[in-house]
Amino acid sequence: MKKTNSRTRQTTLQKVGVGLIVLTLCGAFIRLGLWQLDRAADLKELQKPYVEQPVIPLTDVASPSANLQDSAINRIVTFSGRYLAQFDAPGQIDSSGEVRTWLVGLLEVNGGGAILVVRSDNPSNVESELPKGEVSVEGRLLVRQFEDRADKKGDQLSRLDPSLLVGTYDLPVFDGYVAARSESLDGKVLTLPRVKVEPARPTVPGYYWQHISYVVIWWLMALVVLFLPLYGRRRRSELDREVERT
Amino acid sequence: MNGVIKRYRVMALAAGVMSLLLWFVELPVVYLLDNPDLAAKVKWIPFVHGYVYAFYVLAAIHFTARARFTIKRMILFILAGTLPVASFIAERRVMREFPLK
Repeated sequence: MKKTNSRTRQTTLQKVGVGLIVLTLCGAFIRLGLWQLDRAADLKELQKPYVEQPVIPLTDVASPSANLQDSAINRIVTFSGRYLAQFDAPGQIDSSGEVRTWLVGLLEVNGGGAILVVRSDNPSNVESELPKGEVSVEGRLLVRQFEDRADKKGDQLSRLDPSLLVGTYDLPVFDGYVAARSESLDGKVLTLPRVKVEPARPTVPGYYWQHISYVVIWWLMALVVLFLPLYGRRRRSELDREVERT
Repeated sequence: MNGVIKRYRVMALAAGVMSLLLWFVELPVVYLLDNPDLAAKVKWIPFVHGYVYAFYVLAAIHFTARARFTIKRMILFILAGTLPVASFIAERRVMREFPLK
């Protein structure tokens, strides 16, 4: 009489299916581990001091009605044009942690488009009145804000976000805003108390060793997935041996 | 077998405690409360949980393999370390099935 055991029950098709599932899961776990490794590397990179790059014209790194590219963020840019309007932006925090109302202008850039320019952290300054004429600006290009810090009123911005002005002004706007470090009106330098801002740091949630622990777990899971079929085979052969013995 | 069971028990209890801390302390503090100081105080929880879980997985595999459990049961034991309380339940079941001599 032909003996049947558990080993003969698994067909070739089943073996191929199990193999594919194992490879897929193993690949997925390895990818997840690599993803966490990248995040850990990103976090480490963020801890390094920011390296300042050369000053560049605004239109070389950004264009109106387009999202700000990662490479453009934090660049010191220059541009010129005419101010169209000026707003207060309350509840803004500078690099020293001081909460103040910032003075923000909307400047129509020569060559097309408009951009928000943070002019000063002291709106009551006499020189901070809206300049009439050709203004040249140099400042740091930063990402727009996403959370309101105040109510939006006629001459007050709730956050530094050009999309708040899209319906009011018939101009394409540049994404983000510029924290001005110098301005000159028809060649004459405007002396205003400037806002102190640090280069924006992209945030990766979590901590370095936390991401490394997830790398360990995902790769361990990949090993477990490879181990399980071997364990199953060994267990079946042990059971078969027991059946044969009895 | 006693040593294997003891190792599994220790890791199951540790993984259970860390899961409880992760789910009911760290995650609410980070995602529900806007308190960076408090968040900084609990930042050790996720990565300690990560490493404890890795050791829990090894202990669970060792124990279930020695106990000759089915693959399905082995997977359930591995997953028990990810949910709060589940590893405590698994540990109790182990103690019922394999009382220490």
